[in-house]
Formats: sequence, C-alpha cells, structure tokens
Amino acid sequence: MNLKISALDYVQEVKNGNISAEDFVAKTLERIHSVDEKLHAFLSVNENAVDQAREIDKKIKSGKKVGDCFGMPISIKDNLCIKESKTTCASKMLESFIAPYDATVITKLKEQDAIFVGKVNMDEFAMGLTTEFSAFGPSKNPWNLEYVPGGSSGGSAVSVSAFECVASLGSDTGGSVRNPASFCSTVGYKPTYGLISRYGLISYANSIEQIGPLTRTVKDTAFMLNLISGVDSKDNTTIENNNEDYLLGINSGIEGKKIGIIKEMIGEGIDPAVLSATKEAISKFEGLGAICEEISLDMVKYSVAAYYTITATEAGSNLARYDNLRYGYDFPVEGYEFNSYISKARRNFGPEVKRRMILGGFVPSAGHAGKYFLKALKVKSKLTKEVNEAFEKFDLLIAPTVPVLPFKLGEKINDPISLFLVDINTVTANLTGKPAISIPFSHSNGLPIGIQILADSGKDKLLLQAAYALEQTVSLPEVPI
Amino acid sequence: MVTEEEIEHVSKLMKIDVDDHKEYVEKVHTMIDYFDILDSAGVESEEISVQEIPISNLRDDKYIPFNQKLIEKLKHYKGTYVRAPKMSS
Repeated sequence: MNLKISALDYVQEVKNGNISAEDFVAKTLERIHSVDEKLHAFLSVNENAVDQAREIDKKIKSGKKVGDCFGMPISIKDNLCIKESKTTCASKMLESFIAPYDATVITKLKEQDAIFVGKVNMDEFAMGLTTEFSAFGPSKNPWNLEYVPGGSSGGSAVSVSAFECVASLGSDTGGSVRNPASFCSTVGYKPTYGLISRYGLISYANSIEQIGPLTRTVKDTAFMLNLISGVDSKDNTTIENNNEDYLLGINSGIEGKKIGIIKEMIGEGIDPAVLSATKEAISKFEGLGAICEEISLDMVKYSVAAYYTITATEAGSNLARYDNLRYGYDFPVEGYEFNSYISKARRNFGPEVKRRMILGGFVPSAGHAGKYFLKALKVKSKLTKEVNEAFEKFDLLIAPTVPVLPFKLGEKINDPISLFLVDINTVTANLTGKPAISIPFSHSNGLPIGIQILADSGKDKLLLQAAYALEQTVSLPEVPI
Repeated sequence: MVTEEEIEHVSKLMKIDVDDHKEYVEKVHTMIDYFDILDSAGVESEEISVQEIPISNLRDDKYIPFNQKLIEKLKHYKGTYVRAPKMSS
C-alpha cells in the first residue's frame, strides 16, 4: 500500500473502494512504529485509530453518510485539545494533563470522519523554532537526522514529510507552521488572522497566533481549510469565510498578477542557496505571467524585536495560570507557603519558557513599557500600514520562508539572537494578520528550501491559487527515510 | 541597559525559581539588549492600532453546564474544594 499519497488522493481511493480506511490507518501506525524511534515526531500515538477506521469502513459499506475525510489519518500538534487525550504542550508542567474538551478544529474534523493518529512534538508551549525546547527531546529532520526539523510545529512537519500521517495541524505564532514546513519540505499555511478558531488551542500569544495545516500539497491545504475555517461562537476573534470553497478555481493561474519581492527579506545574512532558490521562484512566477518588482518594507528590520516583545508579554500573562493547583503534575502542597509553592512548582517549566516569562514580566513593567512594549506595538502598527500600502500596489508578496538552510541540532541553541533572526521572514505575517504559505521549492546539499508567499487579509483563496501555480513548476526528490 | 537586580526582581514577581541564576540573567540580558534596536525604529509619533470587537459580537454571559465534574480532574481536591498551600507560614 502506498502511504505517500496526498490527502485528496487518499479520499478518492477510499471513495472508489481501492483501499480501506482500516488498512491505510493500520499501515500508517506500522510506519510510525518503524520510523518514529529515529524521528521522534510523536509524543503519543492513538492505538485505537485502527478500530476507529474500521467503524468508518462500516459506515461506507452500509451506505451511511460519511464525512469528507473518510478516515484520513491526521497528526495534531500537542497544544490542541482532544477530549480525553493527553495534551502536554511538550512541557513537564502538563505532562499528565488530559483535555476535558475538544478544540473547535478537532470537533470539525471529527464531524468529517478524520482519524487522529497521535499528538506530535513541539517546542514547549510553542516557544522555539527547532523543537529542541521540547521537554521530551527534539524531533529530527527526516532529510538529515543530524539537523533540526524547524519549529515550533516540528513534529507536525516531520510526521507529514516522513509519511507518518497524511496531514497535520500546527499553530503559527511567528512562523511555527511555515518554518518547519520549509525545513522538512511540506506545505505550511498561516491563514488570515481569525479565519480558523483558536478555541482549544493552548494560548501563547493570542493576538497573533493561528492554527494552520501542514500538508503534502497546496490542494490538500485548500481541502483542510474548507473543513476547519469559519466563524466560531467560542472564539470572538473569528471571521466569516463566506462558505468559500478554497479548492474551487485553485488552478486559475496568476497571469497578470503583481508580486512584490520584499527587499529586506533577501538581504544581509541570507544563505546563497536560499537566495538563488528565491530568484528561481521569482523567475518561474514571471514565466507564469506574473509581474514581479522589488518593494521595501522598512519596519521588517524591527519586526523580530517587536514580535518577541509582544509575544513574551502575552506569554507572561497566559502562563500565569500554571500554578500547579488547577493544572499540573503531582507535587503535594503540604509544607509550603502559597507563593513559594507556586515558584517551586513552576521550576518544571523548561529554560526557554522561563526566559520568555522573565522577559514577559520585564518589557511591559513600569519604567520599561514605553521603551519596549509600547514601542513594539507602534512598530506593529507601522509595519501593518506599510504592508497594507504594499497590497495597494501588489496582489502578493514573496520571500524565502527562512533565510537560512536547516541547521544542525545544538548549533544555535545557546545563541538566542541567532535563533531570533531565523524568524525574520515569517513574523511579518503574524504581526499584520496577513495569510502566508510556505511551499517546498528546492534543495541544497539534501536540505529543503521553502518559498513564502503572502497575500492581503481575506485573500486566502488568491494565495492558494498562486502557491498552486508555483508548486506545479517544481519536481522534488523523495524524503530519504 | 538592564541590571541583574532588575531581572532577578522580575523573575521573583513572575514566580520563577531559577537555580543557575547567572546563566539565566546573561541570556535574558542579551535578549533585552537586542530589543534596544526598537529605539531606532522612529515610531514615537505612531498611533497604536487596536482591534475593536463590538459587544454584540461577544457570546452571552450565561451559565452553560459542563457534562463532567472538572474538579475530579485535579490532583488535590476535597469535595468541591481545591486543596491549596496555606497563604502564610
């Protein structure tokens, strides 16, 4: 059985009776058990998945209505709540936390007969971009096991890339879907802010984070978006999707569209192979009839500092709830005074989370807020204005997803500023609420390179059409695992 | 420039107990120093944009019963009370 098919091909094969959901899911679990010891994409595996797939096959055979996923095996980042399943956020603090409810995206996928094969690894509380900050150990890049897979949704990208599932859901606060997608050669999508409900996503930085799919193809991303987008009464930041069918007209092409090349994202510090791939992508877009011109977004050079200031502040507030009384691990309260108990219990946070919480207490504090937090919010406002002005002139913007190639495990872990700068091309979409996609485009020395395209808010369909057009020009090698 | 004392003070306020204090302080220090780049952004006169959500978009403030006893999911509880440490020693 071929596990290397797209989500849409899987659905078609099951519909046509060529394969059964049970067989496919069983083979998927076999694959997980055979390769995940090396990759460490999964934090927990749903051993009931085959039984659930069998029930879907029964529904199909009995002629009952079946959801659009037809038992498609999906992995879920471990910061999304699945009722009665462990949801650890890759943290010792939540090591034994069992979610009492489903996230809205999970409810929607369950209604469409998706099967969750497991919860996947991430940087603790989504704070990181390599998965090296997972309390349960890093995931490995399937293209080269000595390299990081990106993060924070590293487990999602690894599981899709290494054929341990057909698609995955991650979350993207500053590039956490697009960065690992780029490093592992999958498609990664950050929708317009509000297009997908965040209800049931464990909060890190609510004002800019979004749930997003990671898939093998752009069409699969459009398919997933059809299933999970739209207004949710449980998340009042959600926006209408107007029953948009993102698959319809995905092959419309991009002839005559204007694409802005973001100058600040292809400048100093970019790897020559990444620059060369970006130029090639631009050339391919021109070959498809698009008009490409350079544009300068002056605020991009301040965007990483603004991003970390804002997210640390929101994280400091969001993580205050982890006092080990309502959520947490087994640590008896006897013999402790209230505040010292909480401080002791919170030692179980990992080093990166602790650092960001200290930052999050510092940058908005009296005497420092004007210098850091308020200035960061002003940079965010000005960056949004610049990007909005750019979209008056251009339909789309383009840049490499990450300015560098995947790097070795441990290479940057002790250099926070060097790690910060890996985010430079992705945080703009989060700070401005714009949709952005990373698509696999090229390889250098066996390591993947992704290209990022951005569109204006609400233009998710146009963005997918452009990504699909570019994807059709690319032929890439198969993952060597 | 941020002092070590300030960072130690904030870590106490955030209820973060840190063993390897020096290493933490150095890394946090490096991060905050990097944020000084914001000084050269020239955004002093910029208005901070806010996203307004009309009250009509908020869900009703009403009790919705949950079909499980959530308190039973806690490690330390007695009856309907959460067991917490004493407030003072």
